[in-house]
Amino acid sequence: MIDALVSALPHVLAPANLFAVLLGTVAGLVVGALPGLTVTTGIAILIPLTFGLDPLFALGMMAGMYNGGSYGGAIPAILMRVPGTPASVATILDGYEMTKRGQAAYALQVAVVSGVIGSVLSAISLILFAPPLVKLSLLFGPAEFFWVAVLGLATVSSLLGEDLIKGLIAALIGLAIGTIGQDISTGVERFTFDLLPLADGLDIVVLLTGLFAIPPVMQMIEEALKVGMSGDLLKLRRQGSVLSKWREFMPIWLRSSVIGIVIGILPGAGGSMSCFLAYNDAKRISKNPESFGKGNPEGVAASEAGNGADNAASLIPALTLGIPGSGVAAVILGGLLVHGLRPGPQLFRDHPDVIYGFMLQMLLSAFLLALVGGLAATRIFGQALRLPRIMLAPIIMLFVAVGVYAVNNSMFDLYMLLGIGLVAYVLEKLDYPSAPIVLGVILGPLAESQLRLALTISGGNAVAIASSPISMILIALTLFVLVAPLWRAWQDSRKAATA
Amino acid sequence: MRKLVQLGACLAIALGAISSASSAEYPAKPIEMIVAFAPGGGTDVAARSIARFMEKHLGSNARIAVINKPGAGGEIGWTALATAQPDGYTIGFINAPAINALVVENKAKFKMDDFQPIANLVYDPGILVVNKNSPYKTLKELIDAAKKAPNSVVIGTSGAAGSSEHIAILNLNRLADVKFNPAFFGGTAPVRQAILGNHIPSATMNLSEALQLVREGEIRILGIMDAERSSYMKDAPTFREQGVDLVAGATRGIAAPKGVPADIVAKLEDAVDKALNDPEYLEAARKAEIPLNFLKANEYKALLDKMTTDLEATWKVTPWR
Repeated sequence: MIDALVSALPHVLAPANLFAVLLGTVAGLVVGALPGLTVTTGIAILIPLTFGLDPLFALGMMAGMYNGGSYGGAIPAILMRVPGTPASVATILDGYEMTKRGQAAYALQVAVVSGVIGSVLSAISLILFAPPLVKLSLLFGPAEFFWVAVLGLATVSSLLGEDLIKGLIAALIGLAIGTIGQDISTGVERFTFDLLPLADGLDIVVLLTGLFAIPPVMQMIEEALKVGMSGDLLKLRRQGSVLSKWREFMPIWLRSSVIGIVIGILPGAGGSMSCFLAYNDAKRISKNPESFGKGNPEGVAASEAGNGADNAASLIPALTLGIPGSGVAAVILGGLLVHGLRPGPQLFRDHPDVIYGFMLQMLLSAFLLALVGGLAATRIFGQALRLPRIMLAPIIMLFVAVGVYAVNNSMFDLYMLLGIGLVAYVLEKLDYPSAPIVLGVILGPLAESQLRLALTISGGNAVAIASSPISMILIALTLFVLVAPLWRAWQDSRKAATA
Repeated sequence: MRKLVQLGACLAIALGAISSASSAEYPAKPIEMIVAFAPGGGTDVAARSIARFMEKHLGSNARIAVINKPGAGGEIGWTALATAQPDGYTIGFINAPAINALVVENKAKFKMDDFQPIANLVYDPGILVVNKNSPYKTLKELIDAAKKAPNSVVIGTSGAAGSSEHIAILNLNRLADVKFNPAFFGGTAPVRQAILGNHIPSATMNLSEALQLVREGEIRILGIMDAERSSYMKDAPTFREQGVDLVAGATRGIAAPKGVPADIVAKLEDAVDKALNDPEYLEAARKAEIPLNFLKANEYKALLDKMTTDLEATWKVTPWR
């Protein structure tokens, strides 16, 4: 492997291929920052254009776009509370709060550094551990996926917010929304009201944008009407450096990256789950969990490191077995195929230059991201906030509407966006948190479909679902997540009693 | 008011004149190509790839814009295609037999006659596979196991209820007089994961998706659902050879709304033919092992008609919904 890496290096560093990675990273930043345009779309458009090109040039652009896009999504998430990609949703929770406090520049810096660290660790795990990690991922069948979803749902408890009841109601709303659409096992349509666009359920991009982007716009209009224009809450000068505080962030970066890598390897889960699970984990181990959601930079760090770590890891099963770990990995797989690069062990045998070159490009683009994202993009995009709020609100609205329309080219989605936005605005006014809704929507359908698959496979035997070692570990983790806070509370109360 | 009506009538006549004159110098403006699936899917990549080469061979600076209208298993995009203006400026990809199935179960707002077939591009036969460690070496062994324990042998499919793979399993049950139990994974990646991890005893896929895994020895093909063996995988037996006359597969082709002038259909048909034979395209298709299968408009129509008739027969015996 070392030989292959050494011999691939000159190809990666050839000027044309370096340029390709840079170009891809910049394009990815832009695509990621525009809501509705996802990295998947960007790469899909790229593939036919790369037919006649050198494979490493084409793959370099894809690698750049993957890492660039995953950070790009964080920019509007932090500045405007608009999730640029579904995987940037957890970044909103603390990132936008930091912006409101005038710490936009610091939040962007935390996001880019954390994203780079996650991406780098992920790329290294891709280079070093692809074969053993892929064996691990194959141990996950429908039963194990069901328990992953249950574990995820158990961690929702840490997102509920101050009012437990309201948090639980929000999670239930999410689970209810997750039931919308056609049941794939029977073909029965649930809560679709005979509307064709609802047959696949609510589009996740439309839902997330409506939930998170519309309420602050309405808030802005409301405040602008009340107090007139007031806009320079947001300073972009230097606000401290995340690098000088690396000791505090290091545990979060490491834990979040591991979570992102594990979720990345598993197909069907995706970036939005990585960022949420990493966020929940950081909040759970934090000494001040109540400061999360109120502008704690650790929240941004966890979400973006988890998101970045999802990237290269999702390529591990894609390159070794042809099982894409995410939507983007699926498109990259298509891009490899048109260059005659078929996934499997022979890919590493027959084309080591290309495949190790590609892995190095994933690593390289992560570093380029620090440069392009940290220096240029953050400064440029940050300028948007200098606009007075009365102007910013309609601009964000336009930006979001165009983006949402572009997802499915459908007017229906725009109506849904407005409807969801209005409901979300009311829910926020009543202090219902949005994050549990999202987790309910993502995990509910996963838990349901995997449970049904597992029961179909086991012939209805419920015990069989909990019998594999991985299932048992996941069940134990779930119990731990649920019981640990009770245990802590009990100990605290005992201490208080003896003191 | 009357003036307005007159003006409208004049405009309509003028527009009519323009559109009838335009087929001579077709295409005079960009052509929209509707893809009923999301960007990045197999159909989307196929569409974007062929669009570039169709532009080249249509000549006169032709432009083709791929428009994704995903949702409801393709129904949204296909409805849009069926109801578009038949002026040759809206074409789209259709996937048979999935599209025929929607019509046969009387769910869709369109009929197969609402489309003008232009050309078929891809035919990918269905296959039945098992893990390399599976005890089942032949189709007969798997069928015998299912006969011994009806409804307990699972076949994983990437589709949902009513997908072409599901219909193939129903046909298999009928033809071999067995009861296999379909498990719906809803995507290609999860079903691959499940068969490679040996979580399910067998799975259906399309041949092109499985070639590499079979060559690596990770999975074994028990049978190809085609009339003849595939040139890509000569040693894999067909179902027919093993006494079960099951033929099923997925196609991708281009169609327009019904009523497009015949000369425009001919131009588009010719552009697809030339694009498929373009050396640069052929090279990419060969590398990606895309099972190309060009059919001219009338041959494509015959295939679509046959699929509809077959599905109607299946629907009567074993409705899939």
